[in-house]
Amino acid sequence: METDEDQVLIRRALRGERRAFEELMRKYEKRIFGFVVRMVRNEETAVDLTQDFFIKMYTVLDKYNFEYKFSTWAYRICYNLVIDHIRKHQAQVESLDDDSISPRDLLASDNVNREDGFRALSRAETRDYVWRVVDGIPLKFRELILLRYIQDLKYEEIADITDLPVGTVKNRIFKAKEILKQEMEKDGLLV
Amino acid sequence: MACLSDETLIATNENSLGAIEAAQARDHLLLCPACRRAAAAFRLLDSVLAEPVLHEPPPRLVPQVMGRLFPALPRLTSIAAAVAASAVLLITWIYIYFDFSSSSLVQALRLTADGTSGWLAGVVKGITSVYDGALAAQKAGAALLRMLLPAPLGTAVLAAAVALAALLGFTLLRPRLRRAEKAAGSGSGPERP
Repeated sequence: METDEDQVLIRRALRGERRAFEELMRKYEKRIFGFVVRMVRNEETAVDLTQDFFIKMYTVLDKYNFEYKFSTWAYRICYNLVIDHIRKHQAQVESLDDDSISPRDLLASDNVNREDGFRALSRAETRDYVWRVVDGIPLKFRELILLRYIQDLKYEEIADITDLPVGTVKNRIFKAKEILKQEMEKDGLLV
Repeated sequence: MACLSDETLIATNENSLGAIEAAQARDHLLLCPACRRAAAAFRLLDSVLAEPVLHEPPPRLVPQVMGRLFPALPRLTSIAAAVAASAVLLITWIYIYFDFSSSSLVQALRLTADGTSGWLAGVVKGITSVYDGALAAQKAGAALLRMLLPAPLGTAVLAAAVALAALLGFTLLRPRLRRAEKAAGSGSGPERP
């Protein structure tokens, strides 16, 4: 995402141009919503939280420091909002695990071919499978995978957003990948 | 040499190892098919994660945020009601402040009463005396108001007092109205299970 373009939009929004803020929202809504929905695992809650995030962002837009990257600042606000929600509604978020669709459901599909005892998925099916496994891993790993791959952030930026040391961020992401690889091996997806 | 750890394999894929470690890892990968498979698995995982499956946000999301941030202007009916209320207040204030005691209609009635006799004069005198009474009360109220407060502030206080009285009346009457409504409902409507 082009940071300069964001800053132009912010300046316009701060001058009172509603359309500029709307444009900024349109630019980020998919990634923000994509992140929030995978964090809380409930679409309606994700809609509410994404809306709350944009409203909060608008109210503190005048506090944004133009020396820093806008997306990191915005993701930090979003992350804090979502984490606060999860802490307040821990029981509800955890109970969603029981209802979520298992990645193994995907492997039961007729489209899956078998070669030499191993399952071969198409690229799109592999993506679906891996991201469903991501949905099922513990939050402390999932949040970092989401920040790294949905928000496309560097380890240092993730550390800044989550207030974790860079080493911990790296280790947890490595661990998350190990978990994902183990799941894939268990399901016979890796030769 | 022992097989490479998952951490080293991931770091190899990310090109984040130091020069010596990277060279050692490369050498090992050339010789070890198991580590090559594991490295390939992590590469596949990385490439798949780099193309996230994003949920589509509902189309109402942005319009709803805009609606919450910038509420729509009040409707025409509310504007008309506000204008009407302001007009009533303004007229009341003008009437009290500028003292219309010499109404031409009342003057005309008085002249008519002087020039006539019998029952018509009695009716006209009755009307003018009611008017005089109302006028005296209004004058006393206006004088009191002028004495206590400057005129525009007086109107504001009057308006606030009226609003407060209405609110108080509504608050006091509401439970009774509800009770009456309930009683009427339970009397005529079907019984609930």
